[in-house]
Amino acid sequence: MQRLRRFEYHEPATIDEATGILAAAGDDARVLAGGTDLVIDMKTGRMRPSTVVNLKGITGLAGIEEAEGGVRIGALTKVTAVEASELVARRCPALNQAAAVLASPSVRVLATIGGNIGRASPASDLGPPLIVHGATVAVESPEGPREDLVEDLYVGPVTTTLASHEIITSVFIPATPRRFGSAHLKIGSRGGGTDISMVGVSAAMTLDADGSIVDAVIALASVAPTPMRAPDAEGALIGETPSEEVFAAAATAAAGECRPISDLRASASHRVALVRVLTTRALSAALEIARNGEVS
Amino acid sequence: MNLSLTVNGAAVTVEADGADTLLMVLRDRLRLTGTKEGCTEGECGACTVLVDGVPVDSCILAAHSAAGSEVQTVEGLADRGGALSPIQQAFIDNFSVQCGFCTPGFLMTLTALIAEDPTPEEEWVKAAVSGNLCRCTGYTTIVDAVMAATGQEVAR
Repeated sequence: MQRLRRFEYHEPATIDEATGILAAAGDDARVLAGGTDLVIDMKTGRMRPSTVVNLKGITGLAGIEEAEGGVRIGALTKVTAVEASELVARRCPALNQAAAVLASPSVRVLATIGGNIGRASPASDLGPPLIVHGATVAVESPEGPREDLVEDLYVGPVTTTLASHEIITSVFIPATPRRFGSAHLKIGSRGGGTDISMVGVSAAMTLDADGSIVDAVIALASVAPTPMRAPDAEGALIGETPSEEVFAAAATAAAGECRPISDLRASASHRVALVRVLTTRALSAALEIARNGEVS
Repeated sequence: MNLSLTVNGAAVTVEADGADTLLMVLRDRLRLTGTKEGCTEGECGACTVLVDGVPVDSCILAAHSAAGSEVQTVEGLADRGGALSPIQQAFIDNFSVQCGFCTPGFLMTLTALIAEDPTPEEEWVKAAVSGNLCRCTGYTTIVDAVMAATGQEVAR
């Protein structure tokens, strides 16, 4: 049976204790949340941390609540809970949809939202919806708390701006304006999610009273070293009246600005084609919600 | 480091370090080898056990993260007299087992499903087992077994 390499193991009771242990341990210390990535990487030797800090004993890090100006989700909240949350479904449709297609049910019950962000997989399922919702993370370290946009955390594959002694404690999703809609779509090789995405697309848009697009955000997964915004596609939407032609132009722009590689899951050219299709579909789904005013 | 949990109704304490997965504790320490190791990375579901009633992939769960939990494995499905659970019997009756390697994982996932919804629709059954891979049966007979175990007509 595959075993993990030796390391120092801690179960701190508080965030301060945890960040203190991490700061003392050095750069190769790692935080253990759900473990669905870290445990695997430690088995294969891709990661060989000297110290692992399991956050499970720290209370108050899980839960979804209405907060001033938006929704706050604790970093240790399981993806299953995000998927099941009526509040998330109502306020952040794209995040609800992405949570429902992240891996399999028996992984979703372990995986956490904070872990998914901190992992910074290029194929992240939760990154794109959090980006299009303008979500921020609260981060703790011995230097004190700080906040950052999820979008700005991503540096490269499995690399963030977070130092090894920093811990994501919660995610904040700001309230959306009227006539806002968002959607997330993904294609993997097994149906209904399950597999790592070949392409993931989140789209969000806000309409004015006349039905024109006043704001649009598109984020893509699995087509660049990190989850990425698609600014050209967004530019093709803002100020326009939604139509098949406008969405097709935005989808073409997104296909043009994504930077996929070919790997075992899909060729680069197939991914470009999928970006075009999924962007169109995600925009249509977001529009439907924006028009029906389901986000409140 | 000591790890205490309940396994198939019995309180157990074992020596486990931070590097042990729940699967290692079950198979190597407790000799409950009904739970299988397949892909080792949370893709195939062969290692599925119930933790507090919920199916999880035990190969990617740090054992200490399950401390204090109630764990149920395939060994805990039959009653003390050895009578199989309804879903186990239905697997036999419906030819839902071929090589059998994935079977314990499927049984655990489906046990949880039936506990939550005593008459699940076929689509729910398929969604529930989306994280369990079977390379022999083509899944049809597995769905049939759930329908039979829950007293439902098979729509075929």
